[in-house]
Amino acid sequence: MSTSLMRNTWVVLAKEVVDALRDRRTLLRLLIPAVAMGPLLLLALSGLISSLEERAEKRELLVMGIEHAPSLRNYIERQTYTIKTAPADYEAKLRATTLLEPVLVIGKDFERELLEGEQPTVELVSDSANQRANAGMGAMQRLLGGFVRERAGLNLALRGVSTELLQAVDVQERDLASTQARATRITAIIPMFIIMAVLYGALTAALDSTAGERERGSLEPLLMNPVQQIALVLGKWGAVAGLGMAVAVLSSLSFIPAQWLLKSDSLQAMFQFGGHEVMVFLLLQLPLAAGLGALLMALAIRSKTFKEAQAGSALVITLVGLAPMVSLLNPGGEASWYLWLPGLAQNTLMMLVLKGESLSLAQVMPSVVIGLVLMVVCLGYVARSMRRAVVGQK
Amino acid sequence: MIQIDNVSKHFVSRTGGSLLKRAPKKIVHAVQGVSVEARSGRITGLLGANGAGKTTTLRMLGGLFQPDSGTISVDGIPVATQARAALARMGILGDAHGLYPRLSARENISYFGRLQGMEPDAANARAEELARLLDMGSILDRRAEGFSQGERMKTALARALVHDPANIVLDEPTNGLDVLATRSLREALRHLRSVEGGSKCIVFSTHIMQEVELLCEHVVIVAQGRSVAEGTVEELLALAGETRFEDAFVKLAFNTQREAA
Repeated sequence: MSTSLMRNTWVVLAKEVVDALRDRRTLLRLLIPAVAMGPLLLLALSGLISSLEERAEKRELLVMGIEHAPSLRNYIERQTYTIKTAPADYEAKLRATTLLEPVLVIGKDFERELLEGEQPTVELVSDSANQRANAGMGAMQRLLGGFVRERAGLNLALRGVSTELLQAVDVQERDLASTQARATRITAIIPMFIIMAVLYGALTAALDSTAGERERGSLEPLLMNPVQQIALVLGKWGAVAGLGMAVAVLSSLSFIPAQWLLKSDSLQAMFQFGGHEVMVFLLLQLPLAAGLGALLMALAIRSKTFKEAQAGSALVITLVGLAPMVSLLNPGGEASWYLWLPGLAQNTLMMLVLKGESLSLAQVMPSVVIGLVLMVVCLGYVARSMRRAVVGQK
Repeated sequence: MIQIDNVSKHFVSRTGGSLLKRAPKKIVHAVQGVSVEARSGRITGLLGANGAGKTTTLRMLGGLFQPDSGTISVDGIPVATQARAALARMGILGDAHGLYPRLSARENISYFGRLQGMEPDAANARAEELARLLDMGSILDRRAEGFSQGERMKTALARALVHDPANIVLDEPTNGLDVLATRSLREALRHLRSVEGGSKCIVFSTHIMQEVELLCEHVVIVAQGRSVAEGTVEELLALAGETRFEDAFVKLAFNTQREAA
């Protein structure tokens, strides 16, 4: 690169950065979703988890008609559960999500039927639209299952049959996920917010330095300076990608204080997001910022107005921003093409980092290659289109 | 010195049409044979009605696009092949002269100075010098956001002149300016043309007769994309056989048109 090209690029870049940073209102509006939303959502999730944990610790059970089932009561109390009587209008309350626990309903003839071997029916009442209540179903089912097994065991023992016959196979669970990997169920939202931060940061600068410049009528005088076309494009692109990265830095850093505020102790113990993760995350964003910055500029350069450019970029923002959803909807089914798609690639790689796995060159290369190709192609297009954009302005 | 030699330019446009039907292609001959010779130390006026081809000609001079035929050179440097060298010798205030609203007048001016290859200190000093010349010291450090039309024009002019170019090209610079602002612009241009001001070569396009009469030593009348007559105001009056310049212009510009048609 010749020195004059580098110098001119630098002059343009410096001006674009100053110009963008002066736009305080826009910056503020973009920083709120980029920096505050992620941590807020994380806190809300942690609140939910800690309340679930609290419920598990409380070991309370809402029952309707426990007076009809003394033997079940005995079993439940032996499991150190506290029995509470459900409110009479529990159905309405469950539907209205004001009652957040499932209810066990016991029929009048429970005890008699049980003794006579008539298989009494109990109901576990919940509302699958009421997520909190639904989450309590598993524990309740296990509890009742235990009671059923105990009764069955007793019945068999009375007849002189070994209870082991009932369990032909001994099933034991073994969870291979590390603590960190388990935590990713919660931390999975972080990569999405960081990708959005890159996009938001780059977007306004990309539109302002292309379509905005054209709309203001400052592109034509700019082009009549003795400056290499490519210096103009590179300088503008540098500012666009730089701002995308800057917002990504802020967004990443915002998760560090957020984790100190986590309510759930177990979640806090699992959540590992420190300086190392931030650094790796940012390095992974570089090709995204480079490629998408250029793509946004290329989309905007032929637009006559800022508004038109915004409409054009909405598709890119939505596609890339929602790309991580692919892996959320298809968990575990990671395919190799994930690593080739901007947005999805970064998401996949960041998830690996959060799981505490190390990244191989083969995993990182595709996103770097795509980022570079996108950048070269789009910047070439912008450089070619600049003059034509001015002429079409008339 | 700027030499525009018999340039022409056509555009293909698609306008009109409806939602379902594309508009037919239409070829617009914006410029078809304009020649201007603007010498140093002289203000050359490009006089023509709206749409006569003045702006297109000046855009070709600024290297925004190539003419279909004809040549343009600035101080002997052809714009077509050495655009950057030619641009470095020109200060152009074009039809579009938007400023950066979030930058101050000083920053707007020195940004272009830097792009012209000046060092920051030199660009800044030059901005202050131009602020004195154009009487805009009070707005120099204000952001361009709230500028009036006149203030915007002065800043854009200062921006075009920041590298002290030997050739100055102005496309309808008095558009939207009030009497006082127009007057001070005229003063500034006269100064730049004079020996003390550097004997600049100034090309000035307008559709206002009065401007030309008051300012220009040499006038080129452009009509329908052609340069139809040139000379001093007196020569043009004599050529048309009129006493009022407006009558002379109408006769020269529109009679030829009729002949051409």
